[in-house]
Amino acid sequence: MIVGEQKPISEIKEIIAPYKKILILGCGTCVKTCFAGGEDEVAVLASALRLACKKDGKEIEIEEFTIERQCEDEFIQESAPAISRNDGVLSLACGAGVQALARRFVKSPVLPGVNTTFIGVLEKQGVFTEECSGCGNCRLDIFGGICPVTRCAKKLLNGPCGGSQNGKCEINPETDCAWQMIIERLRILGQMDNLRIYVPPKNWQTSLSGGPRKLVREDHMI
Amino acid sequence: MNMKTSSRLQEILSNGEFAVTAECGPPRGANPEVIRKKGELLKGWVDAVNVTDNQTAIVRMSSIAGCAHLLQMGLEPVMQMVTRDRNRIALQSDIMGAYSLGIKNILCLSGDHQSFGSQPDALNVFDIDSMHLIRTVQTLREDGKDMSGFQLNGPPCMYIGAAANPFADPFEYRVIRLAKKIDAGADFIQTQCIYNMDRFKEWMKMAREEGLTEKVHILGGVTPLKSAGMAKFMNNKVAGMDVPESLIKRMAGVPKEKAVEEGLKICLETIAELREIEGVHGVHIMAIEWEEIVAEIVEAAGLTPRP
Amino acid sequence: MNDNFTPKITLFHCINTVSEIGGFSLTGQDNFELETVKLPCSSMVKDVFLLRAFEAGSDAVIVLVCPEGQCRYVEGNIRAKKRVAWVRNLLDEIGLDGRRLSLRNISAGDTIATSRIIQNVLKDLEDLGPNPAV
Repeated sequence: MIVGEQKPISEIKEIIAPYKKILILGCGTCVKTCFAGGEDEVAVLASALRLACKKDGKEIEIEEFTIERQCEDEFIQESAPAISRNDGVLSLACGAGVQALARRFVKSPVLPGVNTTFIGVLEKQGVFTEECSGCGNCRLDIFGGICPVTRCAKKLLNGPCGGSQNGKCEINPETDCAWQMIIERLRILGQMDNLRIYVPPKNWQTSLSGGPRKLVREDHMI
Repeated sequence: MNMKTSSRLQEILSNGEFAVTAECGPPRGANPEVIRKKGELLKGWVDAVNVTDNQTAIVRMSSIAGCAHLLQMGLEPVMQMVTRDRNRIALQSDIMGAYSLGIKNILCLSGDHQSFGSQPDALNVFDIDSMHLIRTVQTLREDGKDMSGFQLNGPPCMYIGAAANPFADPFEYRVIRLAKKIDAGADFIQTQCIYNMDRFKEWMKMAREEGLTEKVHILGGVTPLKSAGMAKFMNNKVAGMDVPESLIKRMAGVPKEKAVEEGLKICLETIAELREIEGVHGVHIMAIEWEEIVAEIVEAAGLTPRP
Repeated sequence: MNDNFTPKITLFHCINTVSEIGGFSLTGQDNFELETVKLPCSSMVKDVFLLRAFEAGSDAVIVLVCPEGQCRYVEGNIRAKKRVAWVRNLLDEIGLDGRRLSLRNISAGDTIATSRIIQNVLKDLEDLGPNPAV
């Protein structure tokens, strides 16, 4: 899923400062799963902001609403009445959702309430880890199912650097060295010979480096 | 093996001499005097001098410029190049520029992560890794072509070095990595500084068994310790470093005024052992910000005069 | 202590702690309002309930839970503890002072401990003063 973290409340207060009537719009998919912007988080944020504004003597009206996904028009349009009632929308969706709203509601200020960070998994309850950086050319088959583009801090494709120690990455003792993990996995799979293969330089054209990407499926277009 | 370059370092190693190289860090600024002073301290005592490339991700005068200054003084530089800050376009461009200036040796590295350095907020590059860089420099030399396949007007013919760290994990893999770097085109290897001689000998044994010492010249890295504190720091805080407890105890066991002397003793013992190991063809002395000690070490180790 | 200040306390309690919060007579201090909310398990205390209690005018909020290791639903009181800690932090960030919110473990049926807890909170409110967001 896409993982993000709600912005600190002090920052959100500054972002909504110019507005008197704010809609906090939540999203029921990715950001709900990582506790950043689902219905519950919308309720908590609204309550906290009301308390904070009351304390500061600032007048504000906060409306709360949550839709299934903010990246699809079908759901976004459900929020149209609420958006038109308010001066601005604080979206708790990922960056894509915020932009989808802005695209549709051109005249309404759309503000981000979440810092979108990565594509990841739920490693265990309460812990989310980054796994994929969307390079557009997946070679997890040769890396034993562990992505060195994402999980190696140096994006090395031909083995670990000299800073790998005790299975940890040099930049953070809590980060596993991706290459140590790859080597272990290849050992279990009996594919250690993969380590001798020269993996050529990556073609980054399929990644964000080649410009923002677009997928068009003609077979799904009428 | 590979094409002959006009590198002095290659000549010395090919002649079967025990090579001596040292390291020199450029200044944090544009003052060339810093490099010149270091060059003066090393001239005549070593066969080649590595110039680091924004080491530990701290912004310094570029390696290519540092090398150019040393060249002007008659020294033989080894340009270190990391893939952290430059993409393949800039790397190839700089290699061509360096060669055009007379720089004939390159050490290909990935580079310390930028989070360690003076600009942790920078975007890193890592377009290619050190393995790709080695292969690229080889292709530039052997085929005269760049990475896009273009036939170059004046291909750079550099003597290619790579780093090896027998002390990083996982241990068994380290020799596979060495083999891979040799296949990619490495002509010589400079290792991480050696304190755990047993582990190093083990690694050398594995390298010999794979026939790797026939294909590449290995230079063992050494760094003289100045204090027990330094030994502990290196062991705990520097990635990929292995300083055995016995060595830390030895340093701690002498009075503070004698620590430097003890550290030098250990360094000389290490060099003496390196000269006895089959497959080790030189020593790489990394006396960081202590270049003046290199002359003393080389002399005491009986490695003068240089060829 | 401000004479005009009648402290309002909301008390969330797990029904396995005390089933009913009866009338209290606390010596020397009975000038306060108490709102109680029964929960089948303290883990049912959601962040938003705690915040809404403050929005509704509470000066302090107490969450009573069973002793650790004795939750009927195993981890309910641990979840409550984590949530209360999180909301305390949030209250600090918005300037309401996290000390207004507290979590206390009490053994089943211990009304004496309950009285003492409320008394302590009233004492804290002498320092904290009324809810600044009212």
